[in-house]
Formats: sequence, C-alpha cells, structure tokens
Amino acid sequence: MTKKRKAAKASRKKTSRTRLSAALSAKQTPKQRVAMLAQAPLAVCESDTNMQAVLGVLRNTAEPTEVRLAAMDTMATAAFSVVAFEPCRNDYIAALREMSQDPSPEIRESALGLLAGEKDGFAQKKLLEGLKSPEKALVRPEKALQLLGYDVHAESYAVARDIVENPPSDTARREALRLLSADARSAPLFEKLLRDKNEKREIRQISASALQALNPTKLQDHARALLLDDSDYDDIRATSLEAIEQFGDPAHVAKDSDLLQSVERLSTTAPPKYKKGAKHFLSKYTR
Amino acid sequence: MKVELQINNSASPQARFVGWAPSPCRIRVTNPMGTLLPTTSVQLRSVSASGGGAVVFRKDTAGAFAKTLTLTVPTNGTTVSFFVAGKFGQPSTTNGDVRIEARARLNLLSAALTSVGFVPLMVRIRKNAESLTTGERDRFVAAMAQLNNQGAGRFADFRNMHTDVSSPQAHGAPAFLPWHRTYLLDLERELQAIDASVALPYWRFDQPAPNLFTPDFLGVADANGTVQFSATNPLQFWTTDGVQGVVRGPRNNWDPTTQPGPTVITEAQTLAIGTAYPAFRTMEGNPHGTAHTRWDGFIRSIGTAAKDPLFFLLHCNVDRLWAKWQRQNSRFDPAQAASYDSNPANPIGHNLTDTMWPWNGVTGAPRPPTAPGGPLAVSPCVSAPGPQPRVQSSLDYQGVVNALSREGFDYDDIRFA
Amino acid sequence: MHALHLSATSSEEEFAGYVDAIAAAPGCRGRLLDLLREDHPVYDQRGGATVSRMRGWVLVALARGPVSDAALPFLLEELDTGVDPYLVAAAARALRSYPHPRPALAPFVMRALEQIRYRDDPVSFDEYGAYATSTSATGPVREILETLAWLGPHARGVLAKLQSVARSRGLAKQATAAADRALDAIHTAIGNESVDTDSCCELPRSVISACSWPRTDRRDANAIESLPFEDHDGTAVTFEAVFRGHPTIVVFFYTRCDNPLKCSLTVTKLARVQRLLAERGLADRIHTAAITYDPGFDSAKRLAAYGRDRAVRMDGRHRMLRATADVNALRAHFRLGVNFIESLVNRHRVEAYVLDAQGRLAASFERLLWDESAIVERAYELLTESTEDIHAAGPRADDRALPPRSDSPAVGVLASAGVAFFPKCAVCWATYVSMFGVAGLERIPFPAWLEPVLAIVMAINLAFAWLRGWATGRMHGPLLVSAGAAAILASRAAPAWERLGLSGVGLVLVGSMMCAVDSRRRGAERVLATHPGWIDRTRQKAGLRVTPVSLNRLAGSWNLAISCLTTSVRRSTRRRSAAGEAR
Repeated sequence: MTKKRKAAKASRKKTSRTRLSAALSAKQTPKQRVAMLAQAPLAVCESDTNMQAVLGVLRNTAEPTEVRLAAMDTMATAAFSVVAFEPCRNDYIAALREMSQDPSPEIRESALGLLAGEKDGFAQKKLLEGLKSPEKALVRPEKALQLLGYDVHAESYAVARDIVENPPSDTARREALRLLSADARSAPLFEKLLRDKNEKREIRQISASALQALNPTKLQDHARALLLDDSDYDDIRATSLEAIEQFGDPAHVAKDSDLLQSVERLSTTAPPKYKKGAKHFLSKYTR
Repeated sequence: MKVELQINNSASPQARFVGWAPSPCRIRVTNPMGTLLPTTSVQLRSVSASGGGAVVFRKDTAGAFAKTLTLTVPTNGTTVSFFVAGKFGQPSTTNGDVRIEARARLNLLSAALTSVGFVPLMVRIRKNAESLTTGERDRFVAAMAQLNNQGAGRFADFRNMHTDVSSPQAHGAPAFLPWHRTYLLDLERELQAIDASVALPYWRFDQPAPNLFTPDFLGVADANGTVQFSATNPLQFWTTDGVQGVVRGPRNNWDPTTQPGPTVITEAQTLAIGTAYPAFRTMEGNPHGTAHTRWDGFIRSIGTAAKDPLFFLLHCNVDRLWAKWQRQNSRFDPAQAASYDSNPANPIGHNLTDTMWPWNGVTGAPRPPTAPGGPLAVSPCVSAPGPQPRVQSSLDYQGVVNALSREGFDYDDIRFA
Repeated sequence: MHALHLSATSSEEEFAGYVDAIAAAPGCRGRLLDLLREDHPVYDQRGGATVSRMRGWVLVALARGPVSDAALPFLLEELDTGVDPYLVAAAARALRSYPHPRPALAPFVMRALEQIRYRDDPVSFDEYGAYATSTSATGPVREILETLAWLGPHARGVLAKLQSVARSRGLAKQATAAADRALDAIHTAIGNESVDTDSCCELPRSVISACSWPRTDRRDANAIESLPFEDHDGTAVTFEAVFRGHPTIVVFFYTRCDNPLKCSLTVTKLARVQRLLAERGLADRIHTAAITYDPGFDSAKRLAAYGRDRAVRMDGRHRMLRATADVNALRAHFRLGVNFIESLVNRHRVEAYVLDAQGRLAASFERLLWDESAIVERAYELLTESTEDIHAAGPRADDRALPPRSDSPAVGVLASAGVAFFPKCAVCWATYVSMFGVAGLERIPFPAWLEPVLAIVMAINLAFAWLRGWATGRMHGPLLVSAGAAAILASRAAPAWERLGLSGVGLVLVGSMMCAVDSRRRGAERVLATHPGWIDRTRQKAGLRVTPVSLNRLAGSWNLAISCLTTSVRRSTRRRSAAGEAR
C-alpha cells in the first residue's frame, strides 16, 4: 500500500475513532450520540476495543434506550460488511442473545428480530416458549409468529394452528395464517377462509395467496367462482382477477366467456382502482 | 426511396433502446426508387410523442451531439454509421415514445424534406422511483411479480445469490460495489426479457418517498411490520423461501413517506467521502448499511435482505451514488489507481482481474458451494460485460474509456459527458 | 443400565439424561451412534433447531470418550456439509477424541473452517440446550483450530490454507490465539516427530465403506414397483416404469432445504453427473432421478423450477420426481436418512443411490459429498453386468474389481469372429461361436449398426441353406433353418416370446448341421461336375486339402456361426431396449 493510501486510511480510522468517542461520551445529547453512532458503523470492525465499546453501550441498561438501539443498529450495519465483520460476529451474536431478555421491550424485539433473521435456535426457542406460555413471552404473539416465519423448520405450525383457533388478537391470527401458508395440511383451511365473505379482506387475500402456493388448481377454480359472483366484494374479486392473470392458463381463460363477461362487468361497475385492472385483463384477451 | 435504420447496429426491435451514452447505429437505403444519383442526403431528427423521450445525434465517436444529423448515404445499400444518445433530461416513459425519422429531398424542384423511414425506440433510463409514471410503476411491479412467479420463477436464483453463505463474495471488501452493480444488471436484464420497457428504479433513501411506499407500489407496513399490498398489486403473491409476503417495518417511529432515512448520510455527504475509491467504498457502512438497518424485517440482515423487492431499489441508489462519484472524479478507468482499491490481501473475487461469482460458475471453497443463476444475462443492445464478468468490467459502465464496455444502463441524473 | 425407549414424545430433558447415562456407562457408548441415525423415532415431529440441539448433545457425549471408527462418518459428515455452528463445533471437538489422527482428516477440518468462519456463533457445551450468551464461550472456529492443533503434523497438507486464514486477520481475538497455537503445533510437530506414513492419507476402510458401498443385499423392488410418482412435467409414472430396464442414479432432496451444501449442491452435482454421462455417450442408457422428500409441497412446477435453476436435464430419462402415495414405502425401500416434522424435513443426510436394471439398490453414497465420476463408474459397472448377475438371488460378489473389458464393440465382434473362423472342424466352429459369440456379445456394449448387418447375414445364411437343399434334394435342413430364423425374429418382436430365440438357435444349429454334414455327395458332385478341375486347381494353388465334403461343412458351419451370432445379438438388443422410454 502506498504511503498516501496508508495515510488516508489512518486518517479515516482516526475520524471513526473520534466519532465513536463522541458517541460514547455522556456529555453529548442522546440525539447527538445516535447520529455519531450512525456515522461510524465500520469503526466497530477496526478493532476489538471499538467493538467492545459499542457492545458496552448496548448492554448498559442505564443508557437511554434510543442510544442503546443506535448501538445495536451500528452493529447490525457493520454486520453487512461480512469479511470485515468476521472477528466481531461471535461477540455480536452473544450480545444479541443477552439483549433478547432485556428489560426494554424495544431492545428485546430488535434483538430477537436480528437473531430470527439468522435462524438462531436460541431465538426460536424463546419465541416458541412465549407463544406456548404467554407469561414467558418476550414479544407480542403476532411479532413472535412473524419472526418464526423466517424459518419454515422452526416447529411453529402446531402453535400457529392453535392461535388460528384461539387468537389473542386479529393481528396474531393473521400472522399465524401467513405462517401456515407454507403448510401443505392447511390448504383446506385456506379454501374455507377464501370463500367466507365474513372474513376480512387481508385474511381472504392471504388465503388466496396460500392456496395458490399449496393447491394452484383449487385456487384458480375458486378465483373464477369469486369473479362470477357479483355479490362478493370488489377487492377480493380484484385479487382473484390478479391470480388468474398471473397464474391462470391463458388458453383456458380465453375460452371462458362467462369469466370474461364477468370481468367486463367489473370493468364498468367497480370503483376506479379496480376498473383499471379489469380493463388491463380484458385487453389481453379480447384483442 | 426508403431507408432502414438500425439501433445498436441491430435490426431487432429488442435492440431499440438507448441511454445517455452513445449507441452505434446505421442507416442504409433499401429502396432507391426516385433517386438517380449514387448518393443521397438524409437528415435524421428526433420526433417525440407528448411526454416522451428525445434523442440527439453525432456522426463520429467524438464530438458534440446535435438535434439533427445530415448524412450522405449511398443509394446502393451500403450502410453508413452514426451515433444516437438519449437527450439528457428527457427520458422515455413508454416504449416507442420517440422515433428517429429519416427525411430526404425527393423533389428537386422543392426544398421540402420527405420522410423516407423511421424507427421507434426508447430512451430507457433508471429513474428515481418517486418520479415514475403510473404506467412505469405498474410495468416494473408486474415484471418483478412475474420474475418471482410465487417462488417458482427465476427470482429464486437472485435470492440465492445473496445469502449468508455467499456474502463474502460481495461484502466487506473492495468488490462490494462492482459485484452489486453486476447483480442489479443481471436482474434488470431478466426483467427486460419479460418487459423490455422496464428499467430498475432507485430509492433515494436520503429523501422522503411518498410514492414508493404505497399499496400499489412496494406496499405499506402495518403495525406489525407486515407489508400490505393493494388488491390489484401483483406483488401480493410475492413468495420467497416458500413463505409468502414481505416483512419490512420502519424503525423508531420513522415514516419513510415523509422523512428521509434517519441518520443516513445525504448524497452530498456521500460524494464527499473521498476522491479515491478506498475511501469512497466505506459508504458500504453509511449510507448503504444504514439504509438497510433503518428497517425491521427482511432487509435488515444480509442473509434475508434479497427477499424484499425494496433491496434492489436500495442498491440501485447505492450504485447510482457510485456512478455519480465516478462521473464527478473521472473514475472509470480500472488502470487508474484511484478508481479501485487494489491490494494483494484482497480476498478472491475482489481483485480487478478476478471473475465474479456466481456468473463464473466456480464453486467450492473459497467460493460458495453452488453458483445459482448461471452466466450473466445477455442484452440485445450491448455485448458488455459478457457472460462471466470480471470486477474491472463494471467500472466503465458508460463506455467512457472504451465504447465497447458500455453496459446499457444510465441514471436519470448522471449525464454521459 | 436402565433401558429407556426414546420416542417422538420423549422430552428433550429425558433425551439428554439418556445420552448422558449411556455415555458414562461402560460398554454402552455404542448406543450413541444409534441416536445419530436421522430416522431415529426420537427426532420425529421435532423442529430443525431442536434436532440440532439433540444431535449436538450426542456429539458432545461422544467427545467425552474414545471415538470409534464407526462414529467417524458422523463427525466427518458434520464437518463436510454442516452449516449449524453448534453441530460443527461439537463435531470438531469430538474428533479430538478419535485415537488415530491422520492426514486424511485434515481436509475435512479445513473445509469446515472455510465454510463456517463467517458464522462463528458462540456455542456452549456446559449443559444440554444451553446457548452461549457470553463472549467467553467457545465457537466452531475455535474448536476447529484446536482440532487442527491436535492433528499436528497430520495437518501439514492444509498448512498453507491455515496460514492464509490466520494472515487474513479476520479471526476474532480468541480464535487468533487458537490459530497461532495450531500453527505452532503443526510446525513443532513437523520438526520433532516423524509422521507415520503407514497411517496413510486414506481414511480407514471401514469408514469409507460406511459411507459408500455396493449393496450386497439387493432386495427386489416388487413392493414398490407400482408406487406412483409425478414428474417435473406433471406426468404420472410408476416406480417400475421409471426404474426398470436400465441402471439409474438417484438422489434425494427437497426445495425448502436451507443448507446449500446439501440439497442445492446435490442437485447441482446431479447435473454434472448428467454431463459426464453425456460425454461418455451413456445418457440414454443410464438414467437419473431426483426424488423429493417433501412431495406435499414440492409440486411439479416447483420441481421443474428447482431443476432448471441448477441446469438439470429433464426429460423422459432424467426426471425430477415426487411420490404421490405410499411415501413411507419409498422411505423404507431406500432406508432413507431423513426425518420430518409433519410433512417438512427436519434433518436429512446427503444420500445418493445407484439402482440396477431391476430397480434394486446396488450402491449407496451416504453422508459425505460423493464424487460425480465415482457414481458414474458404479452405474457403468451395473450397465455391463451379466445376465447371471442380474438374476442372481444370492448376494453379489463384493466390490473386487471386475475384469477389464473392452469398450469397443468392434473389437469384441472381430475377436469372436476371428476365433470362430480359425480353421477347425464344423462342430468346433459352432462351439467356439456359441461360447465367444453369444457370451461375448452379450457382455459388451452393443453397437446399433451391427444389428442390420447381422440380419442381412442371417438372410444370406438362409438363402445358402435353401440353395443347398435344392441342390441336394434334401429339404429338412433348410426347413429347420427357416423355422429357426422365424423363431429368432419372433423372439425380437415381444418380450414374452424371448425364449423362442433359444429354440430358434437350436433349430438353426440342427438345420445347419444337417445341411453341412451332408453324407450325400451327389449334390456336391453335381456342382463340381459343372466346374471340372476347379477344385484341383484351387487345391494346387492354395496347397489345401479341400474336398467337396469339407466345402459343404465350411458352408454349413458358416451358416451355424452366423445364426448363433445373430441370435445372441438380437437377444441382447431386445433386452436392452425393451424397457425403452417409459411414458
């Protein structure tokens, strides 16, 4: 490396250290410290001292939560530089596991979110424990289900089915259904939900997407039936139309005059945002 | 008399796309009826539809561009070369919204020019996602959804190219920017194979994005961070790793439609990081890494980031920043030391002359165990960078140093010269 | 020790207690290996992370005592294709309890380091189910480096790679110290000790045979011959239709596998196998199949996409398959190393198989990454198996090398013909042809161009027989030859009439001999009478003792030789193409 480049590199490192020092200093306001931490993510990879300093802020429950979250973000940002981050990973994962049981709910949720993205067994175990025994829950059930969805091998289908039957909240039920969209056994459930006009739009939309994944033939049949049913909601008919347009057999659709007539009606009677989709669909088949 | 015009030296309609960088073209007389002389004078001009793109011309590989160009064309069918480029600041919004018209004086008694041929084309440019027309947005989203095909489409390869296992090929070392530039180019060409009018848009993460995070575009996160799409948005069927949906929630009460990414450094700050590549590439931390970690969800971690369509718009902006820095500092030539960070200690895949995984098909340590996707997708418009690109081939993306290095994409706010 | 029957309902605590107990009990450590079987009932209906915890604890238990050769494949498997930091760390630790460090282990350990170094998550072996939350914990990189130090001089083959890793300064602080210790240990040991070259660069034979062997118990596939599949095109096929009539290389996978070193790499390697087969001109005769463990989710569309994305050739001879019923029967037949949580795989081993032309398991490649050329060779051996071997009910001979064979069909045919036509009596000619022609032709690859040639020759043979019959006035011979030829042709038409071919050979044999061994010289003399002096002139020129009788015998033996050759070739042809392209 040339002298000039070495000097430039040393200068950058010095700048990073300066910023990091400022971030660690209690003399700065939390907002200033957050800004300083955000400007020096790669500094944590430069030395063990830097990394330990940032992790120290993260672990320190006496620090303001926003500063601790910024420290976690700094580590997560640095983690993108995989090669440079190599010496840091061991300590980083250990710290995240520790933080997943922190008194602060935001810290816990952030830490578990990062660990779930790594398919960490520790995080999965804690999330499942929390769903089975709410008193042990570290995050809201809908968040736990969402995070378990990062890994299809996470042993979560049974608990998700229980939550669909007995949901603590609508959001939790929705997340449980989204998780089950990869479960082959749940195809009949999704069929039922899709055709239930009393279900919310997002539930029926999840069901349509899940059924397309698990049993595409059934979904195409149901989508067609939904489109032919003028009494059903426009939004679910629009989703059905999208499913047929994306995944249907064009030759089959072109010959289906009932379907095309139904879409024709949709293109004239539906609200403007759905009319456009219907017209686009028709333009493909009625040239 | 009739003439034929070829864009990018090809008669194929698939090649009728240009950017700000000059595209080689040619003209020849196909029907000399009405002319008796061995040559004829033909004027080329750009005709734009309302709101459409515009092009400019020049005869040679150097020199200024002009709105029209007059060529002397043999009537025996011999071709004559010239160059076309999009008029900076006036990109197309639909395919064929600009055409090159060739006119000639057919009546010796009159000075009037008569049209003797035309070719429709598109000035296809990567734009700020905020500025896309509804049509551009819908075409992009439809192409992405089709590429995904609910998990069974070619998008699976792109997802598998960006995982924990493969990450050392592209992160934390000098080829971070070249690798991702090539990655985006590969994806964009696959999208163009579905709809040739599509160009990858970018997300200005240092600005509010009220048009991007909407149900009809990349969706709106609910309180739990699950992204909701409208009933007409084909992305509602988005599936990766066998699981449907996108998880992406803004952190710390940030509203991306009204606020820039918190603590993400601005474009001006990014461009001021340094004039040499070793300094500039630290932007991998901030703004790049910071833009990733302003969110909860897929995009927050390297192993899951490519599951979210937003990832590609984020990186398109990262690439645009690099391109802008290159333009600002004239850093297109790999032979120039400041253009890259060459170091004997660079890991494999991060040296200028290294081929890049996965396009090189090399597997087994120190490369990842498999190479999804195969060679880089081809373009009907350009030949660069080839099926197995090297790190250095991504630097001269506009063909500034060598016209043959032009990769066929441009950004709306980075001119050619 | 009190026996405990572990099952899917056993708690993790019960499991851990059992493992600890048998690890400590004298003479019971061998039971630990049984717990490493993927299909052990205790892993049924457990999540992936749970299975990792459980298996890891078994490996940790193994590490507490001497590790046997039988355990080595499980450790090497984890180092070869593992991506779970806990399992890799445990395997590296357990390897240090193996009593025979040897150079062959070093590449596995080094490969594990290269694969896991960017996922050096902290692990704890203090108690079952513990996850490290402290920075003083160990991790896979540290464990691997300690194992390299343990290998000492045996790791000299990977010294350069280890130096490169150490120089990259990418290791964590504690791992850097471990790397320095490993380098010192290797350097010091190289300097002070002589490496036992007898310990060789090979793994113990028992280890190799635990991972890759020809199956000596080729159970028939009758139980699953009607097992229904759907292929990548959505075509319904049965086991029999896909796998009978030709050797097949079979791998298992599933599209939701998140270990790129297993399923994704397995299917990618299958594509390389297909290219190797094509290069050797065997792609139409050795088929391939990739069968999913997860048929409920892996639809035809998903199979096709997965194969396409890995450049797999997919057509009637090379398929991606899902079983549409009787999945348990399939698992039992192949003795698959897999377990499930509901329908989703929770753990599986790398496994590839070669089936013979009857659909029976003839070779297995398990746990370790198999070599594409080796599996092609196994399949090729099956292609050239004799009829006797295929129909043998008993165990096949062990994996001793088969005698070398010529790959060139022309050489085989010419050799047979050369021997057949070496001057001898007619009966000897027939005998030689039968032995070398029939036996030899059936064992070498049959070139398609030979069949019409022999058909023409057979017609010539028939014509000669009739000419002789008319000449001698005795028609029995020609009639028998005709009947024999008809029977041979009929045996070609349908598999059910195969045995007619043998009868045809017999008829041609008898008829040709009758034509050849003609005691009635009148026919010969009549021929000779029209060409006076020809024999004498020929005899004088050639110096041969050629008589009318020997001429007839020559002609007759020619007839017989050609008939036998033709019959054997036709039988071989028909058998090879009978299975054809199953639809």
